[in-house]
Amino acid sequence: MAVTATTPAITASAVRTRTGAAAVAAALVLLVAALAAVDITQGTAAVGAPEVWKALTGRSDPADSSVLIASRLPRMTAGLLVGALLGMAGAALQAVSRNVLASPDTLAVNAGSYFGLGIAAVTGVSLPLLASSGIAFAGGLAAAAVVLGLSGLGTGTVRLVLAGSALTLGLTALTEGLLLLFPQDTEGVYHWNQGSIAQHGFDGVLQVAPIGVVALIGLLLLARRIDALALGDDAARGLGVPVRSTRVTAVVLAALLSTAAVTLAGPIGFVGLCAPALVRPLARRFRGFTRTRGSLPVAGLTGAALVIGSDVLLRALVPSDVAVAVPTGVVTSLVGAVFLIVMAVRVRDTAGSTAPDRLRIRTRGVFLTTTAVLAVVLVGVIIAAVLVGDSKLLLGDVVNWAQGRAGRTVTFVLDTRVPRVLAALFAGAALALAGTLIQAVTRNPLAEPSILGVSGGAALGAVLLVTTVPLAGTWSVAGAAFAGAAGASVLVFGLAARGGFQQNRLVLVGFGVATGSAALVSLLIILTDPFNATKALTWLSGSTYGRNLTDVAPLAAVLAVGVAVAVMRRTELDLVSLDEDTPRLLGLSLGRGRFGFLALGVLLTATAVAAAGTIGFVGLVAPHAARALVGRQHARVVPVAVLLGAILVCTADLVGRTVIAPAQLGAGVMTAVIGTPYFLYLLVRSRR
Amino acid sequence: MRRLLLTAAAATAAALTLTACGTTEPAADDTKQTAERITLTDDTGTKVELDGPAKNVVGTEWNVVESLICLGVAPVGVSDVKGYKTWNTAVPLKNEPKDVGTRGEPSMDTIASLKPDLILATTDLPPAAIEQLRKVAPVLTVHAAAASDPIGQMTKNLDLIAQATGTTEKAGTLKQQFQAKLDEGKKALADAGRAGTPFAFADGYVVSNQVSIRPYTSGSLLGGVNEKLGLKNAWTVEGDPAYGLGTTDVEGLTKLGDVEFAYIGNDGDKDSNPFTGALAQDKVWTSLPFVQKGNVHRLPDGIWMFGGPESMSKYVDAVVAALKK
Repeated sequence: MAVTATTPAITASAVRTRTGAAAVAAALVLLVAALAAVDITQGTAAVGAPEVWKALTGRSDPADSSVLIASRLPRMTAGLLVGALLGMAGAALQAVSRNVLASPDTLAVNAGSYFGLGIAAVTGVSLPLLASSGIAFAGGLAAAAVVLGLSGLGTGTVRLVLAGSALTLGLTALTEGLLLLFPQDTEGVYHWNQGSIAQHGFDGVLQVAPIGVVALIGLLLLARRIDALALGDDAARGLGVPVRSTRVTAVVLAALLSTAAVTLAGPIGFVGLCAPALVRPLARRFRGFTRTRGSLPVAGLTGAALVIGSDVLLRALVPSDVAVAVPTGVVTSLVGAVFLIVMAVRVRDTAGSTAPDRLRIRTRGVFLTTTAVLAVVLVGVIIAAVLVGDSKLLLGDVVNWAQGRAGRTVTFVLDTRVPRVLAALFAGAALALAGTLIQAVTRNPLAEPSILGVSGGAALGAVLLVTTVPLAGTWSVAGAAFAGAAGASVLVFGLAARGGFQQNRLVLVGFGVATGSAALVSLLIILTDPFNATKALTWLSGSTYGRNLTDVAPLAAVLAVGVAVAVMRRTELDLVSLDEDTPRLLGLSLGRGRFGFLALGVLLTATAVAAAGTIGFVGLVAPHAARALVGRQHARVVPVAVLLGAILVCTADLVGRTVIAPAQLGAGVMTAVIGTPYFLYLLVRSRR
Repeated sequence: MRRLLLTAAAATAAALTLTACGTTEPAADDTKQTAERITLTDDTGTKVELDGPAKNVVGTEWNVVESLICLGVAPVGVSDVKGYKTWNTAVPLKNEPKDVGTRGEPSMDTIASLKPDLILATTDLPPAAIEQLRKVAPVLTVHAAAASDPIGQMTKNLDLIAQATGTTEKAGTLKQQFQAKLDEGKKALADAGRAGTPFAFADGYVVSNQVSIRPYTSGSLLGGVNEKLGLKNAWTVEGDPAYGLGTTDVEGLTKLGDVEFAYIGNDGDKDSNPFTGALAQDKVWTSLPFVQKGNVHRLPDGIWMFGGPESMSKYVDAVVAALKK
């Protein structure tokens, strides 16, 4: 899928662009100023508009003015600054990569910075802001370098986003894992995950602002070269632009911008992706914004408006004491998600379907060997998962248990461990199968239940039920998860279906729904059960803690049906995944088949989420790996992917339970930690 | 890739051979019956039956652990032992219990391996986890706190734990001592002319350069104790239904007005003490009336804010000492 920034259409309106652009810029400045003015009247202290007015006219109470000067103004400035930095970073990254999906979030720059800060926090070193900013920069830049290095500069935009999203998931999981090692700090997980713009005085803003200014000046100096890149690498080279060095410099500067933002306020999601996306339609109308020198500041302004607008919205909607507990990042993600979905639907999608991955045709022997080896590995992993834990068991114990003759401890350990192992196994298998089905139907290498928001919808449905009905039963949770997943899929696939699952649109809408639902889950947990870290863990990063056999039952049933259907209709899957025309030529009703497979994928995802929380990555990695191992035929891909998924999640659960025993890490955290390196390896390998 | 898979298979096969057969525990034989059965009903309405006073007890939350120690029962398993040692030095562990994992997700395996005859849990654990624990041993599940009657919930928990461990006499003494401590403290404060003083207790933590402050409203255990001491809780924010804790930021403190402000920090956790750290230079903080008058009191570390009668008695001493100055 070639995700390319839409080339601006030069129309008759281009004549009056200069004044038009200036007017738009002025309107944006006014909007930002108005939002900023509202923002300083909001907060937990009794300092509203009248007090602000008194302060402006110099008749203020000293306590009120201290609130304004030391709390409100810094918060407002930080919001503007962070928004501007992220907006500009996103615009720069999208320009150099010619990729509308590139942003500090998708290139793992934010995740890398966050990881750097996480390491600094865990080592317990207390650092001044600038030093921690250095660590964050190193982390962000390293992540960007890995992503760009793996994907190859200027080649394959899909690979860029694939690598970036993969690394983001992996690094975020690692950071969460690190922070979880400190139990008192678990409430911080939300705050870390989602940044907040609250400040104490101007120190932070003043220290970070120069970094942003330097990076901005650098980017503006580089602007002409960046513009030349829009013509394509060869054309740019023809114009005498050093493509490689331009790109590297621009990425470094963009990383610097987003690092500054992360240091000041933590990762505030989606602004870097959203602000340039909002500017793009403007650029089509006003030529002034097509050039980097024009679009960069406008993207900055838009970012500032997004962040400060989210803050205003939050404080206007919920009581001030509650608003304190909700990180700004949650709201930007929500606002950003809605915008992104709207944009994605409206933007003209230029990308056609991609050529199928060029993979060697494998022989039947390879398939049989692979399946056999995987089956053996799976059995091994299952045995290991049953035997290894806080208390190590031996096979004899299991035999005793199976015959009902085991002692009290062994009986109990196995009674609780076996359901967990099964939950992990089935969830892995179900997610892998769901990923296979969805990738086949959409012919989209990025399509995956969690990236497309299906898992997020399921988690949202389940959390809604669990929060409103505290003692909800297994089947009702599964039902609620399915309702959520179905809602999310109807939204995603429905909106993307116009024009037959256009590739960009599907992933963009999916990204939006995924981020939005994750933010809503965070919001629900913060508002209803703020001190319950276990609940947050289960629904935000997947955990098999406290599962019993009845929890696994719906999943097992759906998985059995899913595998049966996939095996029976394997040829149809092959055809659907091939291209748009072949099935039609063969007289197959494409629409109905697609709908059936999608519904099955959604059902599989929902039951997996109900049983083990949101475990990302499996649906992406397992089908990819399976195709790399045994070719594209679904008769072969399905069993191999299902085996791989089961192995992956089961291993992740095993490691999560044992590595910091008796404390435990969520299976989702470990899946991402294990899945990321493998996925990156896969990317490197497929370059050849 | 194929070589990788083969290696994995070989390794698995080797592992299988190595672990083959053998048991870690002999097969079960019939369990013996003892007299003197104890039947209790816990906060989830579940009937808990014990063969006799429990001796090997595991606690999944620190407040029940503290109650156990006060009652003279040394727990065999405690969640997050390191954390307990950091945060509750008022009632130190008298033995070296096994660490059973985090308070949110205690490890089933470790608990089972301790072969307890009673598990003390709170309703903060997921119901499914409590269900599983019931298979290991009788589980006594209590509400860790109740904002409607914080002190009542604490003594109710103490009584239940005492009945289960056959230490009701000791519990009676503890309750009497605690009541005496409250009366004594109230009198001392009244004598010092401190009755009815507006008082605000909070703790705070720093996460990514940002300070969060947790007000202890009148629904919190400390809030309840403050009122028994004749102090007036100055917080106007709303607390959660269980612990009576609210959330606010530094700005929110401006609503307190002229009060006595107290907090407990911890030197073992640098992020837990913003009041002398991150806030020291904050203009909003330094211009608060109680900060300017020097009415901010750091109470001794290690008094567990959600603990039992012993922690609360130490808290009473600390508050009286701070306000009598």
